[in-house]
Amino acid sequence: MSAAREAETASTARTRSDRPAPAITPGVRRTLRRGRTWIVIALALLAGALVLVVVQGAVRAPGSPLAADNPAPGGAQALARVLADRGVEVGQVRSLDGALDAARGGATILLHDDLGVLDRERVRELASVADRIVVARPDFAALEVLAPGVRLAGAAGDAPADAACALPAADRAGALSDGQRLLAIDDDAEASGFAGCFPSGDGFAVVAGTSPDGAEVVLVGATTPFANETIDEAGNAALAIGLLGERDAVAWYLPGPGDADAADAPSLAELTPGWVSPVLVLLVVVTVAAGIWRGRRFGPLVVEDLPVHVPASETGEGRARLYARGSARLRSLDQLRIGSIRRLAAALRLPRSAEVDAVVAAAASTTGRPAASVRALLVDAEPQGDRDLVRLARDLDGLERAVHAAISPDQALEATDPTGRRP
Amino acid sequence: MALTGRFSLLVALGVVPVVLLGSDAGAAWAALVVWLVVAIGLGAIDLAIAASPRLIAVERELPPRLRLGETVRSELVLRNLGRRRLRAEVRDGWPPSAGVHGRNRARVDVPAAEGRRVVLALTPTRRGDRVTGAVTVRSHGPLGLWARQATLAAPGRIRVLPPFHSRAHLPSRLTRLRELDGRTPILIRGQGTEFDSLREYVRGDDVRSIDWRATARRSDPESPGSAKLMVRTWRPERDRRIVIVVDTSRTAAARIGDEPRLDTAYEAALLLAALATHAGDRVDLLLWDRRLRGRVHGASGPDLLARMVDAMADVDAELIEADWAGVPAQIRGVTSRRALVVLLTAADSTGSARGLLSVLPGLASRHRVVVASVADPTLEAAVRRRDELADVYAAAAAERTRLDADRVAAAVRRLGASTVAAGPADLPPALADRYLELKAAGQL
Repeated sequence: MSAAREAETASTARTRSDRPAPAITPGVRRTLRRGRTWIVIALALLAGALVLVVVQGAVRAPGSPLAADNPAPGGAQALARVLADRGVEVGQVRSLDGALDAARGGATILLHDDLGVLDRERVRELASVADRIVVARPDFAALEVLAPGVRLAGAAGDAPADAACALPAADRAGALSDGQRLLAIDDDAEASGFAGCFPSGDGFAVVAGTSPDGAEVVLVGATTPFANETIDEAGNAALAIGLLGERDAVAWYLPGPGDADAADAPSLAELTPGWVSPVLVLLVVVTVAAGIWRGRRFGPLVVEDLPVHVPASETGEGRARLYARGSARLRSLDQLRIGSIRRLAAALRLPRSAEVDAVVAAAASTTGRPAASVRALLVDAEPQGDRDLVRLARDLDGLERAVHAAISPDQALEATDPTGRRP
Repeated sequence: MALTGRFSLLVALGVVPVVLLGSDAGAAWAALVVWLVVAIGLGAIDLAIAASPRLIAVERELPPRLRLGETVRSELVLRNLGRRRLRAEVRDGWPPSAGVHGRNRARVDVPAAEGRRVVLALTPTRRGDRVTGAVTVRSHGPLGLWARQATLAAPGRIRVLPPFHSRAHLPSRLTRLRELDGRTPILIRGQGTEFDSLREYVRGDDVRSIDWRATARRSDPESPGSAKLMVRTWRPERDRRIVIVVDTSRTAAARIGDEPRLDTAYEAALLLAALATHAGDRVDLLLWDRRLRGRVHGASGPDLLARMVDAMADVDAELIEADWAGVPAQIRGVTSRRALVVLLTAADSTGSARGLLSVLPGLASRHRVVVASVADPTLEAAVRRRDELADVYAAAAAERTRLDADRVAAAVRRLGASTVAAGPADLPPALADRYLELKAAGQL
C-alpha cells in the first residue's frame, strides 16, 4: 500500500488554532431536547398502560380454573369463602398425596382435573380411600373408574329446571343455570345405583351413585355450578354448597403437574446441562453487541451528486428498434440507399447535386454491371421480406466496394476519405 | 457512543465461566449475570475515561486545485485540547469520487495538548469541486471496549480541473504555427495579414508582390543593370480575437466513446486556446446554456489556461435546452471587433440545431464562425455491418443519424459558417488544424 495514511507529529511552527472544531453531532442534552416530544409521548403511553394494568387487576397471574384462591371469573374463591364462613374447613391440595391424606381424614374431595393429568390408577387409588368425591366436569378416565356405565353426553340445550331426583342438594337447588354439560346413564350403571338429576333430553346434569370402590360419588357435568362467574345464577350456589357442605372438611383437589403419569420420565431441562440456557442468552447478547459494533455508522453519510451522462448511441439504437418493430423495410433500405448514393457520387467525382440517374450510369459503367440491375438496387427494388431486405442491404455494400475497387484497386475501402478528397 | 469488537469478544468469553459453573443451572445463570455486569461495567468505565472527541481543534492543509488524474496529499492536523490522552480513529468525510486511497480510517494517539497529522492520498475520479464537510472522530478508552464518537465540522474543498490530455498535440501544432508566423514570412497578401519586410526577389516569388517603389529606391542610377527587384513579405496578423462558446446544455451530456461531449469540448477549447495564445491572439471563453455558466475574458499567456480550467472545472452539462438567441449578445459583450467565433456544440439533428441555425446568419455576418461538434465514431462501423436483420436496421438507423448530421452541417455551411466534426479523440487536433488553416489563409 502507498503511504496513504500515516501519523506524525505536527510541526510546531504552524499557526495554532486553540478553539475546538464545532461538533455537528448533537450532544446528549441537545438530543434530549430535540426528541422531547417523542420522549413525552412514550412516557405518557407507558404511564397509561401501567394505569390500565393496575385498574384491570391483570397484574396478578391468572390462577388455575376452579381454584379455591382464584377470584377470576373461572375460579371458585366465592364458593370456598362461603363454605369457610359456614364452618367448613376448606383446604386446597395440588398433589395426590395431599388429597389422599385429606380423604383419610374424612374430607369431601372436590376433584377437578382440568388438564386430564390423572390416569386411571390414581383415580382408583383416590376412590378407594375417599368416602365422598364430587367431580366437576369428569373426564373419560374418571368416569370409567368412578362410574362405569356413565357416559359424556354433550352440552345441554337449555337450563334444566327440575331436579327430579332424590339427591337432597339437587332437590334444594331446584333449578340450574345455562351451560350445563350432560351425562348419560346406561342400564348397567342404573342397575349399580347411579341416578341422575336435572334431566335434559337423554342426559342429566348431575349424576350421583356409589363407585365400585365404595366411595360416594357425585358427578357434575359442568363447572358452572362452582365457578365465580355463574355461581349466583339459578340454583347453582345451592347445589354447590349442598354438595360440598355436607361434611366438616373439603379438600379442593386440582391435580398438579406432579401427578402426571409422565412425571417419572426426565424432562428436557433435566437432560441438558445447566449451562445451555445461559449460553443461549449469552449468544443473543453477543449478537446484539456485535450488531452494534458493526452497525454503528462512522459519521454521517456523504452525499455525492453525480452528473448526468447519456450514451449518445442510444437514440440510434432506439430508432433501429422502432424500424424493426414496425418492419419498416423499405424505409430502412431507403436510408441505406441515400447514404450509398451520396458516397458513390463522391467516389465517382460527381457533384453533390448529381441526379440519381447519373450516379447509376456512372456506377454501372465503372463496375461493368448492367445499368438496370444497378438502378434496381439503388432505386427500384422493394424488399419483399426480411431475407430480401438483408440481401439488398448486402448488395448495396457490395456495389460500393466494387465501385471503390474499380476506381482505386490498391486502396482498401476504409482508407478512402468519405468527403472524396485525395489524401 | 460505539462498541468495539473487543467488547463483543469480552462478552463472548463469558461462555467459559458459564460452562465451567454449568453443572448447576442456578450457578450458571449467576455466572452469566455477573459476567455481563462486569463487562458492561468495564465498558462504562472505559467510556468515562475516554477523551472527549469534541475537544479537538482541526486544521486542514489541502492544495486548492489539481488536474484530474493527479494525486494530492490531504493533511489533517488534530490538536487535542482536552486533558486526557486521545486514542481515536479518524474518518475524513470525502465523497467516493474524491478517490481516497485505502480505508479512510486513520488511528491517532494524541497526548493532551499535542497535535498529530493524518495524511490521506487523494486521486479524484471526476472533474469538479470535491467537498468534505466534516471529520468523524471515534475516541476509544484505554481498554478499547466502548468509544465516544462525534462529527466535527471541518470544511475542505479541492477543485479538480479538466485533464487537458490534448496538450500532447500542442508541440506539433506550435511547429506549424511557427512556420506560418513571422519567422517564415509569406508572400500572399490578404485580409488578416500585415506588412513584414522587404527583401530581394528570388525565383519562385509571386511577381505580384514586387514592390516597384522599393526596387526603384534600391537601384543604382550610376550602374544600370544592377537593379535588384524587391518584394514585400507579409505575415499573419496578430492580436486577433477568438471567442470560444461551449454549449453546456443537454446535448453536451451525451457520452460518446469514453467521455461526455462536454469534456471533449473542453479539451478542444483548451488546445485551441493554448495554440492561439502562443500565436499572439486573444482568447475569450463562454460557457453557455440558458445562462452564462462561466466566462473567461481578458486573460492572456499562462494565466489564460489556468483561468479557463478553473472556470470549466465545476461546470457540468444540465438537462435543459440551449438558448442560442442569447449567444450573440454575450459575444458582443466580449468583443466588438470581428472575431473568430468557435461554437462547440452538437450539431447532429435538425430538431435540436434549429436554435443554432437561427442565430448563425447574424453571427456569420459579423464574425468568422466555426461550428465544431463531436461525431460518433461507432456510426461508421454500424453502417458497414449488415450481417443479419437487426444489423441492417441498426445500419439504417446509423445512416439516418449521419444523414441528419450531414444535413445540419450543410445548413451551417450555407449560412456562412464552417464546420468541424470528428470523434472524441480527433476533435481537438482537428479544431486546432482548422484554426491554423484560417490563420495561414489570413482569414481570421
